[in-house]
Amino acid sequence: MDPDDTGQLVRGAADGDETAWRGLVERFSGLVWAVARAHRLTNADAADVFQTTWLRLAEHIGRIERPDRVGAWLATAARRECLQNLRSAARATPTDDIDRLDIAPVVGNPTEEAVLAAEQEREDADRAAAMWRALARLPVRCRELLRVLMASPPPSYAEVAAALGLPLGSIGPTRGRCLQRLREEMAGISGGLSPSS
Amino acid sequence: MHDPDDELEAELRGLAADREPVPGELLRAAVDAFAWRDIDAEIAELVYDSLLDADAASLVRGPSEQRMVSFAAGGMTIDVEVTGAGPGRQVLGQIAPPQRAVVEIRYPGDTVTVEADELGRFRSGPLPHGPASLRLRPAAGAEGPAIVTDWISW
Repeated sequence: MDPDDTGQLVRGAADGDETAWRGLVERFSGLVWAVARAHRLTNADAADVFQTTWLRLAEHIGRIERPDRVGAWLATAARRECLQNLRSAARATPTDDIDRLDIAPVVGNPTEEAVLAAEQEREDADRAAAMWRALARLPVRCRELLRVLMASPPPSYAEVAAALGLPLGSIGPTRGRCLQRLREEMAGISGGLSPSS
Repeated sequence: MHDPDDELEAELRGLAADREPVPGELLRAAVDAFAWRDIDAEIAELVYDSLLDADAASLVRGPSEQRMVSFAAGGMTIDVEVTGAGPGRQVLGQIAPPQRAVVEIRYPGDTVTVEADELGRFRSGPLPHGPASLRLRPAAGAEGPAIVTDWISW
């Protein structure tokens, strides 16, 4: 992502340009949502965190010190909201979303092609399900880091660091270690399903 | 792309986009948030939150249903005690230095207006939970800018 471009969007929004604001929402919604999901909030709480973070930005849009770094600003704001949420006694307990298996059924009288395609879909779905389960089993630091990293569009390491309150320099090495942990976890779950290499 | 880490990361990203995309109604809410910005008002930043800033001892005692937040703008502070759990909330507020004001308790979907008395005290009836911000303006007849508090979720 071009930081100059991001800075322009912030300045445009600060001037009242709604199209620029939409551009920011498009660019950074994935990141804000990933921060909420990384902290394993309930759907309702994640929605609150998301909305509060964007309302905050709207209020501060004319006063952002580093417009090109608004991604990190949003990530920090979302993180703070998540921590407040987790500490609040008024919240429900976090949920796990690891049990969602999406396997396409085969119906009717399948042709061989259709059977092969369905098998491939099942394998893909199995792999996806295994990956999702493996993610949930990782140590919390890895699970959180990978979940933030999984945002679309891809966040910068500075944004990931802001989202988790970690030093910028630690993100690269931790990412490598956590991806390796994920591979090991996947190999353990499926007893041999080979991760990408 | 040949780096196995990059490939795995890309695959993870696809997985997240598949399973946990940002809900459409939240995207719309984020776009709508733009309408809430208050260009002329001064922002009272959150300077204290008992949920984050409480000392270790109080955390050991366990979370309580009472939350203290403080906002500050220029020479003014606004302390708000938020009580309640589940779907309902109630607030008790104190403006310092003490002054009358009209206090709009703003939620994305609704605004509840209360008044602060000459001692700067205000309270609400039952309120919903969710993202909220106060907007203070001087009581009728007085002068001064509006003040809005940092959005928080209570």
